[in-house]
Amino acid sequence: MKSNPYGALKKTILTCMILVPFVPFILAMGIGYYNFAASLETNTIASMKRIVEDHRQMIESFLMERKADLEFILKTHGFEELRRPENLERVFENLQKTSQAFVDLGIFDENGLHVAYKGPFQLSGKDYRQASWFKAVIENGFFISDVFLGYRQVPHFVIAVAHADHNGRWIIRATIDSHIFNDLVKKVRIGKTGEAYLLDAQGIFQTDRRSGGILMHRDPDRPKYGPVHQGIKTFIETDAWGETFLYATTWLKDNNWLLVVRQEKADAFQALRRAAYLIVLTSVLGGVAIAAVAFFVTGLIVRRMQRMDLEKNQLGEQLIRAGRLAEIGEMAAGFAHEINNPLQIIKSEHALVEMILADLKAMGQLKPSDDLTDLEDSIDQIKLQVDRCADITQAILQFGRKGEPVSQNIDLRTFIPDVVGMVAKKASVHGIGIEQQLAVEIPPVHGDSRHLQQVLVNLLNNAIDATIARHGASGGEIWIESGPLENGHVAIKVSDNGSGISAENLEKIFTPFFTTKPVGKGTGLGLSVCYGIIDKMGGNMSVASQENVGTTFTIRLPSAG
Amino acid sequence: MEKMKILLVDDEERFLTTTQKLLAKKGIDAVTAASGTDALEVLKHQNIHVVILDVKMPGMDGNETLKEIKTRFPLVEVIMLTGHATVESAIHGLKSGATDYLMKPTGINELIEKATEAFEKRQRLEEKIRLAQARTFMKSPREILKEAEKPDV
Repeated sequence: MKSNPYGALKKTILTCMILVPFVPFILAMGIGYYNFAASLETNTIASMKRIVEDHRQMIESFLMERKADLEFILKTHGFEELRRPENLERVFENLQKTSQAFVDLGIFDENGLHVAYKGPFQLSGKDYRQASWFKAVIENGFFISDVFLGYRQVPHFVIAVAHADHNGRWIIRATIDSHIFNDLVKKVRIGKTGEAYLLDAQGIFQTDRRSGGILMHRDPDRPKYGPVHQGIKTFIETDAWGETFLYATTWLKDNNWLLVVRQEKADAFQALRRAAYLIVLTSVLGGVAIAAVAFFVTGLIVRRMQRMDLEKNQLGEQLIRAGRLAEIGEMAAGFAHEINNPLQIIKSEHALVEMILADLKAMGQLKPSDDLTDLEDSIDQIKLQVDRCADITQAILQFGRKGEPVSQNIDLRTFIPDVVGMVAKKASVHGIGIEQQLAVEIPPVHGDSRHLQQVLVNLLNNAIDATIARHGASGGEIWIESGPLENGHVAIKVSDNGSGISAENLEKIFTPFFTTKPVGKGTGLGLSVCYGIIDKMGGNMSVASQENVGTTFTIRLPSAG
Repeated sequence: MEKMKILLVDDEERFLTTTQKLLAKKGIDAVTAASGTDALEVLKHQNIHVVILDVKMPGMDGNETLKEIKTRFPLVEVIMLTGHATVESAIHGLKSGATDYLMKPTGINELIEKATEAFEKRQRLEEKIRLAQARTFMKSPREILKEAEKPDV
C-alpha cells in the first residue's frame, strides 16, 4: 500500500486550523496579562507610596503636635511656676486631656537637674547633665529621642524643649507612651499582609511589627533598606525569613527614623496571580477546544475529499468504459458493415453453386455417390455458417447503431406485462414461472420502446437460459420488479434462481463478444447492446449474482420529465 | 404478360455477375451497373422495371441515385439494398420514393420475391395508366393524337 496521499494535506489543514486561531489567542492573552500586570504594579506601588506618605505625615504631625503642646506650656508658664508640684500636676492633667500619649512631664534646669516631675515614677532630683538627650536639647532647642528603656526599663521616647527667659534656660520634657505611638504607627492595614513600622537609623524597631519584630530589637533586614534617602523609595526584597515583600520607605524626624510600609509580594499581586491562573486555564481549555475542533473538521474535510476523489475516479472509470464501449461499438459496426459485402457475395455464390449442382443432378450428369452427399452437406454448411455470420454482424450493427432513437414516454406498468407476454410462452414450455411485481405508481420513463423491449427480452431470455441450465424442465423462477426510486429514478429488476455467474465472469459480463454459451449459440453481444441502450437512455445497469443461487440485473432509469 | 427486367446496381463486381447468373437461371432478365452514373445511363437506353440499388457506393451513393432515378424515371420501382448500419438511410430512401429495402446479406429468393412484388406494383400502375388513357381516348380522339405526339412514357 502506498503512503496515504491525504496525509500531507491533512497535516497542512490541521496546522492551519490550529495555528491560525491559536496564535492570536495566545497573543491576546499575553498582551492582556502583560498590560494588566504593568497596570497592577503601577497601581500597587502608587498606593503604597500614598500610604507611606500619609503615614509619614501623620507620624510627623503627631510628633510636632506633642512638641507644640510642650512649647505652649513653656510660653504660658514660668519656670518658677512649674517647679511647684501642684502647678505641674495641673498642667500635666491639662496636657493629658490634649493627648493620652503623655506619660509624664518633667522640668529641668540648665544644669540638667530634674527639678520637678509629674508621672508614675519618682524621678525628680536626678541629674541628667551627661544624658545625650540633654546635650542635644541644649544644643538644638528641642529633642525627640529614639525609643529607649532608660531608668524605667520600659520602652518610651521623650520630647524635650528648651526655653530661655529671665530665669535662664530651662527645659520641659515629656515622655510619650510607646504603646500609644506604637498602635498609631501599626494601624496601617493593606491587604492581608500589609504593615507599617518604624526603625531608627541603626535598624532598631521603634514600633512593633505585626509580622514579627519586637520593639527595641534589631531588624536583621536593615542593610537592605539602604542609606538615608530623600522622598519615598519602593523596592522588592526578600526578608530574613525568605518572604518576598514589596517595600515603600521614607525617612522622617530629620532622617533619624525610617518608616517602612511593606506587603508580601504574593499578597500585593494576588489579583495578578489569579488572572494568571485564569489565563493559563483559559489557554489550555481554549487550546484543547481549538485542537479538537481542528481535528474533527480536518477529518471531515479529508474524508469528504477522499469520497469525492473516489467518486471522481469511479466516474472517470465509468466514462472510460463507456467511451471504450462506444469506440468498440463503432469499430465493430464498421467491420460488420464491411463484412456484410463479402458475406453477400458468398451467399450469392452459394446460391449459384447450389443451383448449378441441382441442375447437374437433374440432368443426370452427377451420379449419386458418398462424395456427392459430402459435397451437398458441405454446401449446406456454407449456407449455415454464412447465416451465422449474418446474425453476428446484425447483432454488432445493433450494438453500434447510430441515429436518433424514436423517443417516447413509456409506461412501465403496461410495458413490462407486454414484454413478459412475449417470452411467457417460451418460459412456460420449460416450466418457468415469471412473477411480476410492479408498484402501483411508477413514473414513466423516456426512450425508444423498441430498444427497451430489446433489453428486457434479452434479460428475460438470459434468465430463462440460466434457470433451464440449473433446474431443467421445472423449478425455474423469474421475477421482474419495477418501482420508483428516490431522486426521480425508476428501477427495473430482473432476477432468477438460475445457475448464476462466477465472480470472474461477472466482471466481463457487459464486454462485447464475451459469452459463456457454446459456440454458435450466442454472439456475446446481447448484454453489451443492452448496456449501450440503457446508457443512451441516461440510466445505468448493474448485476449481482451468486453461483447456483441466482442472478439479479438492476436497471436504473431517469423518469420522464 | 410483360417480362420483368431488373437492373442490379452495386460496386461489388462479383456480386453483380453471380446474381445476374442466378437470376438468369430463374429465368429473370437482369442487367448490371457498377455505379449510380452507370445505372442512369442504362435506364436511359433500356426499359427497366425494377432497380436493386446498393445504398453504400463510392461516388454517387444509393440515395443520390434514387433521387435522380425518381426525378427522371418516376415509374421505375427501386429496391434499396443496405447493410444494417444504414437502415436509417434505407428509411430515408423509402421516404424519397423507394418501394422496399433488402438487408445484406440477402438470399436470392428473398430478392426475387421483393422484385416480383415491386414489378407487380408497377404492372398495376401501368394498368391504371392504360385505363385512364383509354378513357381519355373514348372522350377525345384529339387528345390521343396529342398524346401520341409525346415520347412514350
